[in-house]
Amino acid sequence: MERKSAAAAGGQPAREKTRPSPATRRRRRIDWLTGVLFALPVIIGILLFNYYPTVRALINSFTASRGRAGIEFVKFKHYITALSFEFEGKLTLQIFGNTLVYALVSVPFGLIVGYFLALAANFKLKGISVYRMLFYLPVIIPGVASGILFVRMFADTTQHGIFNQLFTSLGLPEASFFRSEKTSLITLIFMGIWSAGGSMIIWLSAFKNIPANLYEAAKLDGANSLQCLAKITIPMSTPLIFYNLVTGIIGGLQCTTPLVVVGNGGGAWDRGAGVGNSLYFVAVKIMNEFNLTFYEYASALAFLLFFIVGIFTFILFKTSKWVFYGEEEGK
Amino acid sequence: MTQREIMANEVLLDALSAEPAAGGTPRKGKDRNASARRKRVVVRVLQYILLTAIALFLVFPFALMVSQSVMSQEQSIRGDLIPTRIVWEGYRELFAHEDYLSSLWRTLYIVVFNVFAVPLSASLCAYSFARTRWKGKEFVFAAMLATLMIPGVVTQVPLYQLFAQMHWTNTILPLTIPNLFGGGAVNIFLFRQFMRSIPYELEEAAKIDGANAFKRYALITLPLCVPILLFVAVGAFGSSWGDYFQPMFYFTDPHKFTLAYTVYKIVVLDGVKFNSVAMAAGVFMAILPALVFFLLQRKLIDGIMVGAVKG
Repeated sequence: MERKSAAAAGGQPAREKTRPSPATRRRRRIDWLTGVLFALPVIIGILLFNYYPTVRALINSFTASRGRAGIEFVKFKHYITALSFEFEGKLTLQIFGNTLVYALVSVPFGLIVGYFLALAANFKLKGISVYRMLFYLPVIIPGVASGILFVRMFADTTQHGIFNQLFTSLGLPEASFFRSEKTSLITLIFMGIWSAGGSMIIWLSAFKNIPANLYEAAKLDGANSLQCLAKITIPMSTPLIFYNLVTGIIGGLQCTTPLVVVGNGGGAWDRGAGVGNSLYFVAVKIMNEFNLTFYEYASALAFLLFFIVGIFTFILFKTSKWVFYGEEEGK
Repeated sequence: MTQREIMANEVLLDALSAEPAAGGTPRKGKDRNASARRKRVVVRVLQYILLTAIALFLVFPFALMVSQSVMSQEQSIRGDLIPTRIVWEGYRELFAHEDYLSSLWRTLYIVVFNVFAVPLSASLCAYSFARTRWKGKEFVFAAMLATLMIPGVVTQVPLYQLFAQMHWTNTILPLTIPNLFGGGAVNIFLFRQFMRSIPYELEEAAKIDGANAFKRYALITLPLCVPILLFVAVGAFGSSWGDYFQPMFYFTDPHKFTLAYTVYKIVVLDGVKFNSVAMAAGVFMAILPALVFFLLQRKLIDGIMVGAVKG
């Protein structure tokens, strides 16, 4: 929260103003040049690698390349292809549905699991930092490595999946995991347990930043630990939760893990789609369209995603009354 | 995702450096009698059991990955957990793959470049936002932060078109050169917050002695930023080491892939004969990040103890 307000205020506190004499004006010009020169890499960087591509993607999405004949303006054709049920509409709906469900379920799920991890990692014991590191270890494993690993662990018994071997040895029925339309998205979300160490750390830092006297005062008033959680820990952590919901959902909407988990599926054009497209995510679809050199269609899909990201960010900010920033306001 | 990871890392360091916090279950009571002490011991033992159970559950897949990477195929099929005899077939086959070693060197090259380029570039730009005064600074800063809202996949295709026009595809340039230009909004933001916490008097003194802005940046501010430099460098390492999605756009020649993409191709797309090869690939991808994390952890935490990152 401090961060955001600091960002809004920006820069150094203004120094006392001097009367503009030619000398000061020259000095100011030098100051300006110095500042701009230091910031020049990022000015060029955001223009060239962020804003220019965004504009170009927008233009792309309204055009079609006609080979040697050049580029044709096709208005909303790609969007219509994507959204109309006569064309790709059904698939698009499914893909965006998958992505939304994944982002909206996995992020809160991760935060909740992370919270319980943090409670455990907050025990006052010798060697607790070793446990914290062990809890965090799965988070630093690169996605390719963990993807390769989990797809094998979740495989059928015939494919020697360790979980199903465990289930059958315990006399339980086999689970289909990534092998069925119904269970693959749930399995992917469930995999998030292993990366909950990331949100554990966020919670730990939230706990740390809560003044201890709040708990002491609450205890004097006879509050139990559950009340402390509901009235102190959670309200005081809301800025962190909010930040992580926003970044997590933006990140989750661009998830590409199915590429590793599902693999080649039906072929190069629907890589990472999963059984019955049950794991097909927007970012993966964009890459597949790109591989077919349908850059314009890929750009239109990307903009639809951008639109959805925008809507969710807007909704999150609009409904952020529950975020507790200061002393004055209640929650 | 990388920006989020960086942010999470920052919080991580912060949390690991912390004393056990005030949340959870505070137990500060003075036990005056033996029964209370005994009760405390029991609680402690239970807590250790719980922690160990969670740790085992979370680490189990990765322990299994290590063990299966040196396991014979028969054992792996049987679902054994511990290899009766160590078989290096997986690693041998992996390293014998025609593209594996060359992609490893290529990736190390990218990683080393980015580990220096990202913190240096980010600190340079952050210095402008933290320590200089110029008209339009706030606007540029806001425009920079606004880029965080643009999903990476939106810019991916046009970036490919841009790099293709410059004949940068199938080279490592798209994965390195852009990092010279700011090194990411989140990193600049972190540096700026850190720099603002450094007392300005030092620079003021240097300014009176006639040091220009670049000297003040390079000789005074930057040396004080070591903890955050290290921190951003580790983040840059992590994101360029494990990235397989961006290379999918920029590389078409399998002999020019980065390591993560090569592993993806060998294991996921082509498929491997033995389970141990896939597991060995996973282990080898995971070893370096784990090593960096464990080796640098203390140092990173010490740096963050200065308490500056929170701004």
